[in-house]
Amino acid sequence: MLTREPEVRQDRPTKRRRTRLWSALTLPGTVWMSVFFLSALLLTVALSFGTTDDLGNPHFGSTLANWAQLGEPAYAKVIFRSFVYAGLASVICLLIAYPVAYVIALHGGRYKHALIAAIVVPFFANYLVRMYGWSTVLADDGPVLRAARALGAPPSLTILNTGFGVVAGLVYGFVVFMILPLYAAMERMDVSLIEAGRDLYGGPLRTFLFVTVPSTRQGALAGLVLVFLPATGDFVSAQLLGGPNQIMIGNLIQQKFFDGQNWPLGCALTVLLMALLVVGLSGYLRRSRRDEQEAVR
Amino acid sequence: MRRAFSRRRKPWFAIAVTVAFFGMLYLPIVVVALFSLNSQKSLTVFKGFSLRWYRAFFADHDLIGSLGFSLRISAVAMIGSIVLGVALALGIVRSRGKLGSAAGLVLLIPLITPEIVTGVASAMLFKGVGLPLSSGTVMLAEVTFSISYVTVILRSRVAALNPEVEEAAMDLGCSRFQAVRLVTLPALLPAILASAILIFAMVFDDFVLAYFTTGVTPQPLPVRIYSAIRFGVQPTINAVGTLMLIGSIALIGLALLVPRLFGRRESLSQLL
Amino acid sequence: MSETSAVRLDGITKSFGSSVAVDDVTLDIRPGEFFAMLGPSGCGKTTSLRMIAGFADPDSGSVLLGGEDVTYLPPNKRNVNTVFQSYAVFEHLSVADNVAFGLKRRGVPRDERRERVGRMLDLVQLTGMANRRPRTLSGGQRQRVALARALVNRPKVLLLDEPLAALDLKLRRQMQVELKQIQREVGVTFVFVTHDQDEALTMSDRLAVMNGGRVAQVGTPEDVYERPADAFVAGFIGTSNVMTGTYADGRLTLPGGVSLPVPSRLGLAAGSRVGAAVRPEKIWLSDFEDGMVQIRGTLRETVYSGATTTYLVEIAPGVQLSVLEQNIDRSRREERWTGGEIIDLAWKPEHCLLLCETA
Ligand SMILES: Nc1ncnc2c1ncn2[C@@H]1O[C@H](COP(=O)(O)OP(=O)(O)O)[C@@H](O)[C@H]1O
Ligand SMILES: [Mg+2]
Repeated sequence: MLTREPEVRQDRPTKRRRTRLWSALTLPGTVWMSVFFLSALLLTVALSFGTTDDLGNPHFGSTLANWAQLGEPAYAKVIFRSFVYAGLASVICLLIAYPVAYVIALHGGRYKHALIAAIVVPFFANYLVRMYGWSTVLADDGPVLRAARALGAPPSLTILNTGFGVVAGLVYGFVVFMILPLYAAMERMDVSLIEAGRDLYGGPLRTFLFVTVPSTRQGALAGLVLVFLPATGDFVSAQLLGGPNQIMIGNLIQQKFFDGQNWPLGCALTVLLMALLVVGLSGYLRRSRRDEQEAVR
Repeated sequence: MRRAFSRRRKPWFAIAVTVAFFGMLYLPIVVVALFSLNSQKSLTVFKGFSLRWYRAFFADHDLIGSLGFSLRISAVAMIGSIVLGVALALGIVRSRGKLGSAAGLVLLIPLITPEIVTGVASAMLFKGVGLPLSSGTVMLAEVTFSISYVTVILRSRVAALNPEVEEAAMDLGCSRFQAVRLVTLPALLPAILASAILIFAMVFDDFVLAYFTTGVTPQPLPVRIYSAIRFGVQPTINAVGTLMLIGSIALIGLALLVPRLFGRRESLSQLL
Repeated sequence: MSETSAVRLDGITKSFGSSVAVDDVTLDIRPGEFFAMLGPSGCGKTTSLRMIAGFADPDSGSVLLGGEDVTYLPPNKRNVNTVFQSYAVFEHLSVADNVAFGLKRRGVPRDERRERVGRMLDLVQLTGMANRRPRTLSGGQRQRVALARALVNRPKVLLLDEPLAALDLKLRRQMQVELKQIQREVGVTFVFVTHDQDEALTMSDRLAVMNGGRVAQVGTPEDVYERPADAFVAGFIGTSNVMTGTYADGRLTLPGGVSLPVPSRLGLAAGSRVGAAVRPEKIWLSDFEDGMVQIRGTLRETVYSGATTTYLVEIAPGVQLSVLEQNIDRSRREERWTGGEIIDLAWKPEHCLLLCETA
């Protein structure tokens, strides 16, 4: 039989070590993100408890004064307004995005991808230029109001420098974040469900309410979070379309950093936005997990 | 089944909303482009075609300087984030360790953080460590912001790769590292190019992060545009804006086209 | 045998978590041999192959190539090449560059490389396709690229993991013949993994039948077919009629009291439950010879399939035998049998195998 000699060789290679390559590849990026992103966030949180000296220089501290200041009416009003405007914008986005996503996903045929591209491409165009163009469109002598007046709207009707102008800006800026998840959800939806719905409920409206809406709730939820979060922090829309009386949290932060030089207060406002992010996301995750569990049952 | 469904009654109301939506989506862009060609300063009355605002833009040394600066920022952010992001995507997917999964989660945070938060936090960090805001700080911030995008786009592509291909390279004499270099990276090349173009376009257009992290001079183009819009209407901005729109749309088109040039069909959603 | 094995697996074991994929496998594969590893899906064939190639470390045991212990050597340091189940063709390289890949890594000079690649492409019948991109090739052609890419390096051993599984039946048959020819031509040891027993029987010089991470039997196709080591092998290779009953004194008692002679086995206690196997083509329906085991049954079904006909005959309650007969003169039987008849069967005693019950 075989010689078993090789087995007793002493120079037999020892057990191979697992490759370190993957960890080595992960490390630089992880360190980079920890230094330039995570630690930056932590620094912002720390500074929100800080103070400013007479020259406007920030110092670390442990005061709650900045946070208390957010409760003062002048600030509370702006914070409240931000939530209301962002909430309104999210709902309006949802109302617009539902029919648009529905039409593209279920009636787009072979133009589906082209239509979605037609929505995504302008989104990549410069945000400022788009908002600036939107403000000229909504201006008192712009095409929208001129058309409205020609249809009999009162001449005093104005959009710019009102709350509605700000919300319109937020909708224009972020509606794509609503359309994409809704579109994805409707793509995944089983068309035969709708057919069954037609048989079961009859009218298209009832089918839409009882079949389409429930089966795309995940997408709608994701869209609401994706629109609400950036909308709350936006300051361009309020600035270009709302004027000085409609400012939002983002404008306050901007003021504290560039004009007022009160960084700790600006940090507190920023941390408020971060907290909102955490709340919004965990709410979304909990909700979608529950939906999944229900779907399993 | 889909065909049968489409032949049913059309949802006219939803179609009307969709048409109106597309109209409103493009109207501002068309207005900007149109009035960039206006011979008068008015933004409401079109008086006749002229290229005077484009000439004004190209004669404005300040704006041209900003344009060059923005291109430099984009190039640096693109290269930096591609190098770090490709490595991260490979590492996160392949290493089954804790480091990989932790990094995978952390990388999602920048994608959903409102830009103003990222901007403030970056500014705080630079000021906190005594780094004066300058052209260098914008670039650092933009690289950071872009890494997440690159990693998230490429991660799914790496996960979709056939692991046997890398093993085949090792079977034919490559070390693990050589296999990645000679086989895995070429397989990822279309996705890498597409995300590089995407990052270039996004960083070039980025305003909020640049606004919070740039020094006084030079200023990135979007920051210049912001001050211009803020302090009164200037038709030159229409010309700049139109050029930027054309540039972005061309780049995005290219990003979508790149995979096809390599003979692979990928849907938009895979890229985004 | 004094000759060194091309591949020797010595008690290799590999677990994933708590499940054992390969369980104490010992094998000797001889130089120049076409060796098949056959077994159902999930029995550990791929895992064994990966340990030979160096993509996985065994938990214990060792892998020897040409007598040299390579257990923990990385794949690029082993003189072994693999044809992967997915082919794993490099999409970004032309056919010729795919084939030249390994030669390039080894620093073979350009001219020699070109010449060897050209000859290899001829061998696998891809002449003229050198500059094609893999995505323009059919499945069969991609498979040839994978084969050429591995063989061009003149490995001591070529590992093939179900290389034909993705091909359609006709192409598979053709490739079986071709692979065998190529192997004879190049003289390289082939270790060929498959779950297709026909493929293993027709192609291999010897084969190992695997089951649940263990080697059930090693031998020539004839050994394994004619003398299966256990019920698993008998059932997995070809079709077998396995009759289960109680053994006593060289006889097997089936349900309903039917008793028939089986090979006697020393040391097998009376009353043990055992199986006896007879292949369908070894059962006769007429012209019996002396010394045959004869038994009577009821014809339950007739399945005509062109060259052959299969009869299902019930010999005891719940015990059916299938009997395969060549359709040499079918009309004769057709007139006589319509189903339900009582008929006689017989087989030569040496064609009945006693199988130890496996749990
Ligand atoms: N990387 C792995 N991780 C966990 N389990 C595995 C892995 N590879 C194989 N297995 C398990 O080991 C067993 C044997 O697998 P494999 O060798 O691929 O079987 P075969 O090739 O014979 O179909 C299977 O049960 C399989 O699920
Ligand atoms: Mg397998």
